[in-house]
Amino acid sequence: MEADHEFEGAVSGASQTYPMQCSALRKNGHVVIKNRPCKIVDMSTSKTGKHGHAKVHLVAIDIFTGKKLEDISPSTHNMNVPNVSRTEYTLVNIDDGYLSLMTTEGVSKEDVKLLDNELCNKLQEDFDSGKDLLVTIVSAMGEEAPIAYKEAPNF
Amino acid sequence: MANPNKAVEAPKGALDAVLVASENVPEDTPQIRGYDFNEGVDYAKLFTSYRHMGFQATHLGKAIEIVNNMRTWRLSDDPLTVDEPDEYRDPAVRAATKCKIFLGYTSNLISSGLRETFRYLVQHKMVDCVVTTAGGIEEDFIKCLGPTYAGAFSLSGAELRKKGLNRIGNLLVPNDNYCKFEDWVVPILDQLLEEQKSQGTIWTPSKIIHRLGKEIDNPDSVYYWAYKNNIPVYCPAITDGSLGDMIYFHTYRNPGLVIDLVADIRAMNNEAVFARKTGVIILGGGLVKHHICNANLMRNGADYAVYINTAQEFDGSDAGARPDEAVSWGKIKMAGDMVKVYAEATLVFPILVAETFAKNQSLQTS
Repeated sequence: MEADHEFEGAVSGASQTYPMQCSALRKNGHVVIKNRPCKIVDMSTSKTGKHGHAKVHLVAIDIFTGKKLEDISPSTHNMNVPNVSRTEYTLVNIDDGYLSLMTTEGVSKEDVKLLDNELCNKLQEDFDSGKDLLVTIVSAMGEEAPIAYKEAPNF
Repeated sequence: MANPNKAVEAPKGALDAVLVASENVPEDTPQIRGYDFNEGVDYAKLFTSYRHMGFQATHLGKAIEIVNNMRTWRLSDDPLTVDEPDEYRDPAVRAATKCKIFLGYTSNLISSGLRETFRYLVQHKMVDCVVTTAGGIEEDFIKCLGPTYAGAFSLSGAELRKKGLNRIGNLLVPNDNYCKFEDWVVPILDQLLEEQKSQGTIWTPSKIIHRLGKEIDNPDSVYYWAYKNNIPVYCPAITDGSLGDMIYFHTYRNPGLVIDLVADIRAMNNEAVFARKTGVIILGGGLVKHHICNANLMRNGADYAVYINTAQEFDGSDAGARPDEAVSWGKIKMAGDMVKVYAEATLVFPILVAETFAKNQSLQTS
């Protein structure tokens, strides 16, 4: 459930989003639609015309839920762009649906939940079969989720 | 050799073929006679002469006659029938019961200067019901926000696009006008949606046009007067224009607005069904022509019909169909008074109005 992995007010320091003029947005970049951090998968611009002001039509995917969202905005308006970060952690354990992670500096992190999706199911499988895994956690707008993982290289 | 100067009888067969003896033309057949400018430049006389000018001048003359018939008809002109309902038996009611006049026009005509003529007709309650297309609605409001300019048919599309100018025949509308329209109409769409949600209002095209007429609050607007005078304006294709563009974008920004066509088709058809006499004045073709005729089908046909358009019938389109085709469908009465003027509306409609509604009004006020 969405509410389970939203941590409002958990962010300090850098702001969750920053404004950008709609016409400056680019495909594969990020944007906030309906208060969700999204990746832009398609965009088209209609110039000023019979329909009024120039507009940008955005098709984007929620980076956490994968849900498709659309928006149309006048190209001169500002839209919010989420600050999105990716961090790689070593997976130490999976405990009651939560990932037990550790940074390269040895700082542990235990608050990221395993989601019910293909990636996480496979991650669980691979972890159960005893593989050493590195998990990438994406973080935006106070929300965090595993987005990718790979087998840790053997030294 | 025969003498070439000697008269010779023409062959009998050829004579008979060329000189068929004419039947006597009935005495009341009008004779063709045009205007004599020795009488000076008298436009009233000039236009009266159209009736017997021939060709489309005669059609326009007939249109003037028919519109005057629509205008002046009262139920008291018709004999009281035995099956007349009680409410129509009172002579005072009969004298006050008029012909319901439907006016239809296409979008380009609102863009043209005919808009002022339509506004005049609606302002003075000279028509009872209006049908138009989306552009016929929005261009009236847009003209309240920014002017439409004179251009030329020959202007290059590519050059105009670069300059942000849209061409309608030899008229030009700057893109900026549509931006102003967007800024004006979008907050109203928000309000419509809000009322739909909070009060359960079911919006129809005619209700939206009524509301926009109220909001524009400008006596230049046709629909301001339609709102003031409570004259219904039907536009089943309300989304087929800039208004539709705005409604489309609005579904992203603030989704949920519903427009009900069913309530409007019921209201439109009932405009015709419950009228004692109906007349239609239709400029142009397509939706506006058919929508009015179709509503009149519900009462077994209109009594008076005036079409003004340039469309031809050979492609089978309703746009080009003569009134007689509508008779076959029961959209105009068999005994109806009807004419099609093959002409471009901006040329002849001001003359038609001058010789009918306007002349009568100036007679009354002077």
